[in-house]
Amino acid sequence: MDEATSQVEWKKGSAELLILFLVEARPRHGYEISKLIEQRSGGTVRFHVASLYPLLYRLERRGWLHGRWVEKSGQRRRRYYRLTRQGRRVLASQLRGWHEFVAGINRITEAENA
Amino acid sequence: MPEWRPEILRRLAPLRLSPAREGEIAEEIAQHLDDRYQELLAAGLSADSAFRAALDELKGEDLLARNLRSVESDLYREPVVLGKGGNNLFAGILQDIRYSFRMMRKSPGFTTVAVLTLALGIGANIAIFTMMNGLMLHTLPVRDPGQLVEILHHYPDDPEPGFNGFSWDAYQIMRDGNHVLSDLIIGSLNVYVVGGHELESQTVFGGNVGGTYFETLGVRPAIGRLIDPQDTTNSSAVAVVSWSFWKSRFNLNPAILGQKITANGTPVTIIGVTQRGFYGLSNQAQQVIWLPFSLGDRSSPGFSVGLLGRLKPGVSTRQARADLATLFQAALDRPDANPFMRRMELRIEPAGNGVSTPASQMLSTPLKVLMATVGLLLLLACANLAGLLLARGASRQHEMAVRVCLGAARARLLRQTLTESLLLSLVGSAVGIFLAYFAAGALIRVFAAGRFMMGLPVHFEVLKNADAHALLFTGAIALLTGLLCGAAPAMSASNTTPASALQPGSKIGETKRQRLLGKGLVASQVALALVLVSLAGLFVGYLSDLRSNLGFERNNLLLVTLDFAQSGYNAAQFSRLSQELVTRLNAIPGVSSATFSEMSPMEGPGASSVASAEGHPEKGTPVSINYIAPDYFETYGTPFLAGRDFSAHDEASSRVAIINEAAARDCFGNENPIGRHITLSHITLTKGDKTYEVVGVVGDAKYNDLQQPAPPTIYADLFQEGFIGSQLAIRTRIDPSGVASVVRLTEAAVLKTIPIVRIIGMNEQIDSTIVPQRLFATLSAGFGALGALLAVIGLYGLLAYTVARRTHEIGVRMALGAAATDVMRIVVRDALWMVCAGLAIGAPLAFWGKRVAASLIPGLPVASPLPIVVAATIMIAVGLIAAYLPARRAMRVDPMVALRYE
Repeated sequence: MDEATSQVEWKKGSAELLILFLVEARPRHGYEISKLIEQRSGGTVRFHVASLYPLLYRLERRGWLHGRWVEKSGQRRRRYYRLTRQGRRVLASQLRGWHEFVAGINRITEAENA
Repeated sequence: MPEWRPEILRRLAPLRLSPAREGEIAEEIAQHLDDRYQELLAAGLSADSAFRAALDELKGEDLLARNLRSVESDLYREPVVLGKGGNNLFAGILQDIRYSFRMMRKSPGFTTVAVLTLALGIGANIAIFTMMNGLMLHTLPVRDPGQLVEILHHYPDDPEPGFNGFSWDAYQIMRDGNHVLSDLIIGSLNVYVVGGHELESQTVFGGNVGGTYFETLGVRPAIGRLIDPQDTTNSSAVAVVSWSFWKSRFNLNPAILGQKITANGTPVTIIGVTQRGFYGLSNQAQQVIWLPFSLGDRSSPGFSVGLLGRLKPGVSTRQARADLATLFQAALDRPDANPFMRRMELRIEPAGNGVSTPASQMLSTPLKVLMATVGLLLLLACANLAGLLLARGASRQHEMAVRVCLGAARARLLRQTLTESLLLSLVGSAVGIFLAYFAAGALIRVFAAGRFMMGLPVHFEVLKNADAHALLFTGAIALLTGLLCGAAPAMSASNTTPASALQPGSKIGETKRQRLLGKGLVASQVALALVLVSLAGLFVGYLSDLRSNLGFERNNLLLVTLDFAQSGYNAAQFSRLSQELVTRLNAIPGVSSATFSEMSPMEGPGASSVASAEGHPEKGTPVSINYIAPDYFETYGTPFLAGRDFSAHDEASSRVAIINEAAARDCFGNENPIGRHITLSHITLTKGDKTYEVVGVVGDAKYNDLQQPAPPTIYADLFQEGFIGSQLAIRTRIDPSGVASVVRLTEAAVLKTIPIVRIIGMNEQIDSTIVPQRLFATLSAGFGALGALLAVIGLYGLLAYTVARRTHEIGVRMALGAAATDVMRIVVRDALWMVCAGLAIGAPLAFWGKRVAASLIPGLPVASPLPIVVAATIMIAVGLIAAYLPARRAMRVDPMVALRYE
């Protein structure tokens, strides 16, 4: 498996989690979300427009996110996404699952290296 | 700044999203690309490479669409532009409904007025229909009810359906001689007091039935057996009761069989219970007990049988009438037949919906007239709403024009406008059902207070568990109302011509035709309101006519009914005690006189007879008889025209009588009747003739029927005849209810063992006989007021709208020097024109309505043009009231403001 393909697979699994996680603290617009993902991953994880927005719409349709156009004076209006109550529950359970998964992986790899 | 949208839209195109959604997505993504572009520029890239890098975010031509497809595909398939043709009818209708709700929410004031208007119109219709349905439209739960006919006879000039009571001879002749009936059964509707051991006494409807009654009707027993020919031949003391009676009184206990109960005091044994749901032959009177018809004294004058026939297949009621009438005539021509009957004609009525009863005779015509009246009211409400919708439609023409320009099909606009009116009508119906529920309840209570009513008719609970008839009617009326209200506005909306409607500065324009339509609708409201108000005037006048010219004074008169049945008093005791009671009653402060009689006016039918005057033995005059004590005429307030009252001396002397003016005229013509003799034959329930000397003549007084002129009446002396009069009348100087308790005490002191059955004011007794007329008057007055109110609303709506639309014009006029009064004149003239047009249409309608009403209700004072004149005056007043606010607004138009209006 080459590196690019493996990254796609990783992203698929973690994309939803990342987005939900990022809008948990406060509502954010699409560009902000993509920037944050890129910055915090040190540039290793990037979403381009063609997959970020379909994903946002999907999460919105599932009722996990709620998008709303907000107009601020002197700016163009932007669509902000906020975590819904249901989204919050999903995020909590996904985070738990992710931590367990990482811990499991760590235990396996550490045992091998020890 | 690069233009991103075309790039994005090209990629979204394969998804065929709705324009709104597509625009939204494009806007959001374009922003993202823009942000990225700015960032890259800031990082030092050239504009060209920044553009390409940003565009690279879209990753080729088809990735965005591919990723979006699974998310967006099942969302927006339908066109979103309202009015644009589409092929998904259902989605379109949903959209219409959503949009209509939005329109309703947007103008809550308009919606409230519209819904209330319709609710009143529809509610009134549902209420009256429910009653009609409950009373007249239910078929009897028997085998082939369509074949059942009722045999009646009536006087040719009497509009009432007639009596169902025949002599034994007539029954036998018709039963044996007819070729049209497969069965002729005996079944009458009687009132029984049912009681017995451990059974509380109760007054109920029941029947006296022949042996083939149940078999012919196809009724089966729930338990036990039903009455058969054996029972009638043997005159068995048995009874059959209804399932509902079994349930309510015996809790479905099978031990009911063999139980002994009493019916009108006679002990009978219950032998069976009818199948569930059978309640006899009338929808108005639920029968619960049936006794075998007893042949008894077939030749007694009071003996009669009620008849019900089952037509042979293919025989019409007309054929049946022709066949049976000949046989009936043969029975009448027998020498021993009752002379009263000679003028009678036979009548055959379908009985599948139940036989005629006092209640049905009393209610069926009023309900039909009321149904027509509420129909008119609904029509008026529709015209009203159509006018309001039309005015609103005119102000929405710009909107319609834009839609037409955007490609909306005219049929679609038509549908949208109709959806709005249908929805209004639907909401109105829902509120109307709610109103009808209470209205019907109130109506039923009024009906139940009537003289012949006992308990509630079988299907009066119908509103609580509406049947198919009522639901169908409600649905139909809602649909019809919606279409009627919406038709004109819808046509006008779909006829929008965008070219003129969209011109800058165009007056929110109506065509001349639409303006005329609006005015026509208002005029038609005025016309309908005129009909309603004049009918109301007619009925109110009729009611007050009925309550006056009675021939006796109805105010301050207390009626007390005594029950001598169980007392064992003889005539002499009664004579002494009654005179003592009268003396003591006269001593009560506030009482001016008291008297006894056998009947009180409007109590019910009393005895009747055929009178022939001395010297004119060949001429028999049908007369009513009342047996009275002295002071009767003083107490009732009927004037003496000649002669004297009865006195205590008459008791022992030869028979004397007092006659009324009508009897004097019919029997003696212009001769003086005082001292002459009069002979009565065929007196009700007696045999033999009686001759009386006429000692007095009194004014005519109504006897039993307010709607008929006072009948020729003979008053005989109660004490002389040795009768006991159970009606005590007390004339008071104060409100009669004020002496009622003292009267009770005095009566109990004198007539210790005689219970008082009821105490009632004369006015109350009169009112209980004219329930339908009172209902007519009250309801039609209510409907008239409602009609006038709707006309005010309609007129006001149109005028207010016209003034608003013409503000500019008025401003110009005022700027050019028109005075405020000139402007007012324009508005008022407009209003009066519409009212006059309405009156011109309405007056012939009102005259016609009056004639129709008169054909249904005899005695209606149709000759007087007063109601129509009054109604017309009211409508003109209505016009002025409606014009007041718009005229004032027009007068206050400020030319400066108005000219800036553009």
